[in-house]
Amino acid sequence: MKKKILVANRGEIAIRIMRAIQELDYEAVAVYETPDKDSRHIRLASEAVLLGDGPRCDYLNIEKIIKAAKRTGACAIHPGYGFLAENPDFAKACEKAGIIFIGPTSEVISNLGNKVIARRIMAEAGIPMVPGTSNLSAGEDGVQEALAFAGKYAYPIMLKATCGGGGRGIRLIESDEQMRKEIPVARSEAKAAFNDESVYLEKVVINPKHVEVQIIADKEGTTIHLGTRDCSIQRRNQKLIEIAPSMIGNKELLEEICQTAVKAAKASNYTNAGTVEFLIDKDYKYYFMEINTRVQVEHTVTEMVTGIDIVRTQIKLALGKPLSFSQDDIQLRGHAIEMRLNAEDPQADFMPEGGKTVSVYRSPGGYGVRLDGFVYQGYTIPQVYDSLLVKLTVHGFTWNETVSRLRRCLQNFEISGPKTTIPFYLNIVEDPDFIKGDFNTSFLETHPQLFEYKEEPNEAEKLSKLIAEIHHRGLNPYAL
Amino acid sequence: MERIIQGTAPSEVVAQLRKADGYYMTNTARDLSQSDFKNRILLHTDMLAAPSRERAGYFSLEITGGASVHVDILRKQVDPFLKLELLREKMPNTMFQTLCRGVNLFGYRPYPQNVIRFTVREFAKYVDVWRTFDFMNHVPNMQAVFEEVAKAGKINEPCICFSTGPEHTDDFYVKKVKEIIDVTGADIILCIKNHGGLGSPQRIGQLVNAIKQSYSDLPIHYHGHNTDGNDIGRIAAAVINGASIVDASDSSMTGYYGPPPSLTVIQTLKELGYNAVGIDEDAVIETSEVIRDQRQYYAAFESQIKGFQPTVQIHKLPGGAMGSSLEQAAKGGFLDKMPDILHKELPRVQKELGNYWSVTPGSQILWTTAVANVQGGERYGNPSGDLRNLLLGKYGPFPFYQPEEWIYEKVLGADWKKVLEQEGGMDEIEDMDLEQERTTLSEKIGVEPTDQQLVLYLQHPNDAVNFFKFEEKFGKVYVLPPSIFLHQGKFNEGSSLSFTDHFGKEHVIEIGPSMVNEDGESNVYLNVDHHQRIYSFAPEATEGVVVATVLSKEEIQTLAKNGDIRAPFAGNICEISVKEGQEVAAGEQVAMMEAMKMQTPVVSAIAGIITTISVKVGDAIKPGAKIAKVDIDE
Repeated sequence: MKKKILVANRGEIAIRIMRAIQELDYEAVAVYETPDKDSRHIRLASEAVLLGDGPRCDYLNIEKIIKAAKRTGACAIHPGYGFLAENPDFAKACEKAGIIFIGPTSEVISNLGNKVIARRIMAEAGIPMVPGTSNLSAGEDGVQEALAFAGKYAYPIMLKATCGGGGRGIRLIESDEQMRKEIPVARSEAKAAFNDESVYLEKVVINPKHVEVQIIADKEGTTIHLGTRDCSIQRRNQKLIEIAPSMIGNKELLEEICQTAVKAAKASNYTNAGTVEFLIDKDYKYYFMEINTRVQVEHTVTEMVTGIDIVRTQIKLALGKPLSFSQDDIQLRGHAIEMRLNAEDPQADFMPEGGKTVSVYRSPGGYGVRLDGFVYQGYTIPQVYDSLLVKLTVHGFTWNETVSRLRRCLQNFEISGPKTTIPFYLNIVEDPDFIKGDFNTSFLETHPQLFEYKEEPNEAEKLSKLIAEIHHRGLNPYAL
Repeated sequence: MERIIQGTAPSEVVAQLRKADGYYMTNTARDLSQSDFKNRILLHTDMLAAPSRERAGYFSLEITGGASVHVDILRKQVDPFLKLELLREKMPNTMFQTLCRGVNLFGYRPYPQNVIRFTVREFAKYVDVWRTFDFMNHVPNMQAVFEEVAKAGKINEPCICFSTGPEHTDDFYVKKVKEIIDVTGADIILCIKNHGGLGSPQRIGQLVNAIKQSYSDLPIHYHGHNTDGNDIGRIAAAVINGASIVDASDSSMTGYYGPPPSLTVIQTLKELGYNAVGIDEDAVIETSEVIRDQRQYYAAFESQIKGFQPTVQIHKLPGGAMGSSLEQAAKGGFLDKMPDILHKELPRVQKELGNYWSVTPGSQILWTTAVANVQGGERYGNPSGDLRNLLLGKYGPFPFYQPEEWIYEKVLGADWKKVLEQEGGMDEIEDMDLEQERTTLSEKIGVEPTDQQLVLYLQHPNDAVNFFKFEEKFGKVYVLPPSIFLHQGKFNEGSSLSFTDHFGKEHVIEIGPSMVNEDGESNVYLNVDHHQRIYSFAPEATEGVVVATVLSKEEIQTLAKNGDIRAPFAGNICEISVKEGQEVAAGEQVAMMEAMKMQTPVVSAIAGIITTISVKVGDAIKPGAKIAKVDIDE
């Protein structure tokens, strides 16, 4: 009997992982909640377990997922991203149940998930960091610590929840008065959201570039990197577009950053695949931000430029195999760009379009094009999950070729039903700054023209709507 | 003699008519459409006909006015102004003619003076010949239109509505002509409006002669209907006695109640020695051939009853009302009572109500009264509001005699004398605040309306707004031929439909399969220019089934403006940014919602005080769920 691996996730990433599982000649076990009953990730699996009616709570239910793994006889679990991916309790529960957790150890997840512990580890290893505090003391003492820090480094300052992450639990503080006011509010919110009221401070880097390094480490201590990614184009700390490698021209700097990432991974005893995130300021000084202990949404761009299948590697490493390639084997070829095509209305503040049915779905293909999606024509997007429809990743030998390919693919997409981010992305690929490779985290705010597009159906589509209605009713109700 | 070219000054036109050797011809396409096709002839067909109609050399083409303005926006979904603009491009030399109901414009009730003038001004940009009438032949009811037409430099063609009976003497009509000329001056065309096709050829000949005796220089335009099959006889008599212009239309489309075929008129008069000035017979024939093929697609709108109706001489229904009356009878299931209604009750009601002219809106009053009298049991027992207004003199004074007192008593009640004294007579209709109306319209359609849109809105407020919204949704549909727009039944699967859109782009639509999904929703698959499109239609509402309602985006936005903040989508509350009792500004964040990884702030649409917070951090909520309430800061 083939060995089985359970995928504790949904949507495109579940499918991405199942493909790797099947290529390794294992059987893939899917789990799902009732609102996901029509999801394609179920159909691609060898078997599927209904966790419950959800929504979301069953994908987050450690006990149910461990039970599903045991019942189906799965020897390992891949958590994907989101849901339980960075929950040390889940990794621990797997370890306890004798199931392989595909990712780092629970201890590593726990350490790196706590921002203050992570900063301490990095400080000890000499990793450059944005000036910051440890956890603020309770009450007035904490406020005094904060004001002293502000006095030394000047505003603006970030007030962060120690257990926050992924852009959550962050507030920007610009004055002593605001600091006094916000600390208790931030604490109570952190308590409610992360069940830990600890907060700390970091100096703000203004309009930085967001550059991250993909690292991979086996259990024997070999740690290598797969180069950089630029994820600067974001909306409210949520990435929209990712590029590999970073467009920074200074190759020595990028190499230094990659080496720093390897050092950071080693310092934290990291195993499996992870991402070390850095901020780079306008003077090209770089600062450690955090380590993500999961496979990233944007891992595809790294795969395209390195040729390394990251998810396959994750599984093999988790099953105890050593790395089958060395740092010298890693060569970056060309450029890759990934765009997250979401069912959202960019002109309405990216309002999700959940609940709508995809009436037409036609995707591009051809050389250098990769699609990681899960929607199909006739699929109704559940309202209760995220709005990612498909990730479009393109690869090209030159930057120019890559951007042209991206534009062509966006134009070739045909999605009807929900509004999508495609017209907005089409504006981005035509933007001179984007074409130059010149962007930082302020890109969206400084380019408001990206939101100016018209999504009017053309005249033929309007007229066809009437023809469809005449056909449907057997008469023209507007001519009676 | 040459045809008269569009753009010629009114005095020139009249001068040319005075010295004409022969007669001119108007193509009354509008009346053909209204009388025989329930007004449904589409612009598409008129556009097909345009090149040969242009060459045919008509004095004018009646293509707008009457009920057509309303039906254009209500049933044909075409902008009446755009229609004229497009036809003008194809027909630069032909004068366009309208039929205007005086104070009632293109509707059924009197409009305020400023609306009348504004409407005439806008239409006069396209319309050269203004045929204006009043169903009571009450000249003051037409005065505003006369004035605006003259100001616009267009041709006034006032009508005397014609009917038969002892009161309808030559003397009466000649006096009416004087009344009109006293107002308009002599440089007009006079129309004898024989909307029922009443009287014998001899009677029409006499009347034309009588008018000509008094006003030898006055060009007369004879308008008739072929309801009894004998309008060509009347046309011939009119021309022999000095009429300058006559009405007819394209033979391949002629029916029973509208104009007679133009070619027959031409041939008949030729033998009598009268030349059709400017007319190119080949082009007249060609027009009929070009549009003949289209007639099949209008079959559903032709009369339920085939054949001429010589009894029109008894019931006097105007041609334009024949089709709709028969349709109403068929739909109302009283087609069998039509002989009673048409031949007994209607003539009786006409006499009782003063023997005025059976034409819009007077014909509708006569018709509904006759139907009610037959269907309702007690005669005049259930009077319409319009009949009441008629008796109160709201439309103008009775031309010959007043109805008998018992009718007043039936309609106005026991104290009818008092009612008549207090409410009787024509009302001064107050001017409308046009700028206010413009603002209201702009709120309804979300854009600043054009003057033309405002005109349509002032005529038919609801129907105009619906039309504007229709166009926004479906585009400019006049490009669709009747074989598509008026299609009956489903199209054949696999068939392809082609047309050129308003912007000149050609399109091919292929009909694909239709499928009903498990929710009863129908999906129609079309290939639109080789791209697959799917159009979904909700199942027809079934009674007794309560469908769970989810608040729409618009509803959520409306509630937000009232301080009722709802979840715009499904997600988790990850942050509450305010406290109860706290003041918030418009646009200030109230909470942060998260759907998986995307965070979206929920903001207050108004300034006020937070009175209730209905959620807590971590709550998973559905779209439309209550988040908070804001009381407007006073």
